[in-house]
Amino acid sequence: MAETNTGISVGRTNGDVHVRVAGRGTFQNGQPLRRYALDMINQGVRQFVVDLGPCEGMDSTFLGVLAGIGLQLREPATRGHLCLANVSPRNLESLQTLGLDRLFKLAPATGAAPAVIPWQWLPDPTSSQFRASDTKKDAANVMLEAHDNLIRADNRNQTKFKDLTTILRARTDKDADKKTS
Amino acid sequence: MRDFQLDHQAYGTVELVQFSGSLDMDSFPRLETQLNAFFQQGRYAILIDCSDLDYIGSAGMGALIGFAKLAREKGGDLKLINVPESTLKTIKSLGFTKVLQVHNDKGTALASFHAD
Repeated sequence: MAETNTGISVGRTNGDVHVRVAGRGTFQNGQPLRRYALDMINQGVRQFVVDLGPCEGMDSTFLGVLAGIGLQLREPATRGHLCLANVSPRNLESLQTLGLDRLFKLAPATGAAPAVIPWQWLPDPTSSQFRASDTKKDAANVMLEAHDNLIRADNRNQTKFKDLTTILRARTDKDADKKTS
Repeated sequence: MRDFQLDHQAYGTVELVQFSGSLDMDSFPRLETQLNAFFQQGRYAILIDCSDLDYIGSAGMGALIGFAKLAREKGGDLKLINVPESTLKTIKSLGFTKVLQVHNDKGTALASFHAD
């Protein structure tokens, strides 16, 4: 896989899930990662390693998706771990700003992940294979859930994201009302 | 990746703010500092030109929404012009246009502050 490509790639080895974030982690590519991770947790995977070596930065939604995976793995019924590897000073600062450095294990820099991982790209929600209407609904739901996760992970985030979650909740409630009527 | 740059110019009662680069978690505190400075001076009419914006993250959008609401409470507003197509699609799809007015050109946008 070419290092110049950007996006989220995943692979499994010895029952662990490896995730590699190349380029930016955004509210767009956070959607398929959330879906994939939940699927893996439901299949019994308990160890996630997220390689942030090629990651240029993460927005708050992407960080909230990671927080959601971390919180789910902390549940007594799950008892797993999410480990972040190759965290740059810039990404560490983002994690610390939102209080997430206490939620994840941070692995020391190890360079590239083992070559034996059979990497595959997660789909890009901005590509034509996604139905636009589904992506829009998902984007609002995932963004809201992600910021709720950030608040669950650290209550100080409530003030930071109050306005954003209020408007997103209004949007998602409206979508839910449309569905039921 | 270009660093975030911010410049501003007063057009009567309206502050025109020009972004360039990426508005993400690292850079939005700089925007917050600037907007807080305007508000402390009693300047609540803010127009943000996004024509040179490479990227805006969800935290950046959240900050703009928060300041738009605050500006309205004080009788002003925070509006956007020249929003890149991909960002505009996101703003619309997430329902943010209820809070963030988007205009196509500077003249119309500046006039809209006086018409509101």
